[in-house]
Amino acid sequence: MLHLYDQIQEAVAKIRSVWDKAPHAGIILGTGLGNFAEKIEVEATLDYGDIPHFPVSTATSHRGRLVFGMLRGVPVMVMEGRFHAYEGYPMSQITLPVRVMKAVGAEVMVVSQAVGGMNPQYQPGDVMLIDDHINLLGDNPLVGVNDDRLGPRFPDMSRPYDFDLIDEGQRIARAGDFVVHRGVSVAVLGPCLETRAEYRFLRGIGADVVGMSTVPETIVAVHAGLRVFGMAVVTDMCLPDALEPADVNEIIAVANSAEPKLRALVEGILDHEASKIAVVAPR
Amino acid sequence: MSDPASADGSAAIDAVADRIRAAIGDRRPRVGVVLGSGLGGLADRLENVVALPYADLPGFPRSTAAGHAGRFVVGALPGVDHPIIAMQGRFHLYEGWNARQAALPVWVMRRLGVECVVVSNAAGGLNPQYRVGDVVAIDDHINFMFRNPLVGPNDESLGPRFPDMSSPYDPRLIAVAHEAARSHGFPLHTGVYVAMLGPTYETRAEYRMTRTLGGDVVGMSTVPEVVAAVHAGMRVFGVSTVTNADPPDALGETTHDEVVEAAASAGEKLRHLVEALVRHVSGAEAP
Repeated sequence: MLHLYDQIQEAVAKIRSVWDKAPHAGIILGTGLGNFAEKIEVEATLDYGDIPHFPVSTATSHRGRLVFGMLRGVPVMVMEGRFHAYEGYPMSQITLPVRVMKAVGAEVMVVSQAVGGMNPQYQPGDVMLIDDHINLLGDNPLVGVNDDRLGPRFPDMSRPYDFDLIDEGQRIARAGDFVVHRGVSVAVLGPCLETRAEYRFLRGIGADVVGMSTVPETIVAVHAGLRVFGMAVVTDMCLPDALEPADVNEIIAVANSAEPKLRALVEGILDHEASKIAVVAPR
Repeated sequence: MSDPASADGSAAIDAVADRIRAAIGDRRPRVGVVLGSGLGGLADRLENVVALPYADLPGFPRSTAAGHAGRFVVGALPGVDHPIIAMQGRFHLYEGWNARQAALPVWVMRRLGVECVVVSNAAGGLNPQYRVGDVVAIDDHINFMFRNPLVGPNDESLGPRFPDMSSPYDPRLIAVAHEAARSHGFPLHTGVYVAMLGPTYETRAEYRMTRTLGGDVVGMSTVPEVVAAVHAGMRVFGVSTVTNADPPDALGETTHDEVVEAAASAGEKLRHLVEALVRHVSGAEAP
């Protein structure tokens, strides 16, 4: 991990050449939030290919650029397009943007992902606020010599997702009159979707939804001391004893249909953060 | 991450074993002890010691974990004639070492003639009957590290392609440990160790998962060494010190300092167990 520090500094230097604010929140857009950035008062953008050490996103329906600007009066840095382990990237590269977020001043990471629903009470199109995760990726972004400048050797994981933000997310959903669940997301490597036996196994070990992302970014965010707000969009139901073949186009369509809910949640969380900033700001 | 030197192959094992043999002369340890977090103090009690820093061993990895000294120590426990070889500081996969590097010390011990390996670790308690500071004789393990030191071409001089894992931890040694625990008046549990990659401590959901799967304790070490020892035909005794025992639905924060502190408090118990095992394996049990 010792090579990361210099990589982070070089990426930050590139960002500083186009944008000089400290983002309060770093936002990672997963499947279905690809058009989200249209709501931002954009002040600068950078294609991943122009940022030192950033990989280039290969996933369907993911763009590949950083957007900097203001959303609900809060400075934000938005990742349009993210990196997955199944694309072949090492964990340190997948999570480099989170390190960069922290280094330019972010305090909160907001992340969304498309998931398969295993809890039978969930419906396609529902949003689950991530309360906790299980890492079954078979890897961890913190493996290697620890760089104490970036975070502790053994980060505590008793509460990786910020409880105050989850509570706020539930309030936002009630006010907006839509359902959110609160549950456990398990991350698997992919890229194949799960077999019926694997869904039974994953449900059996306590997961409500399954996805192929977010856990690496969250581990690094916790290591770096960022508060995390995670949202999982249930794109299809994965009930092992009534499993139908997955249709990737339909998954993307359902994810897109949930965009208004994700938008309400992200904007509500930023309003909540803005109210706290206002309270603590010097007069 | 520094790129750990490759440690594969018999030549690397022989080179390290030769270097140790040259330093310890005619002493022939039959028991090897791998000391986990905070348990390194046991090596400080050894008498007539020869210490071999890892840095002096050709091609050997170096420990980067806090609380790990990074050397082999050959010596005898007070009142026990037979020398043992202790590893003060081990190699964790979360440090970036591969599973073969983590297993290398065990293969070196085998080359030195060690017949029995005692592997200790600091672990989180999953079984609600365990208390912080308790010790657990490992009866079995679940490898959740997604790594195995035997992946790759098999070296038949070390062991078989498909080692049996029906009983990796020697039941006779577990019985000896229970006798020792009873005679010294402390409780010894018997349980299943789940090995995770780390370095993150478990989430609440991961604690529930490991318990559901049948684990009693969870940690980030031991399994690579045990797999290598079983492969090499060695008898294994594994022991966990319970350093935190938070139920997942009332999970407190885990810090490395409290793990090291709890491990140190169990050092006396571990010493009694190791003494009994050394006497047993050396065929010189106390009356």
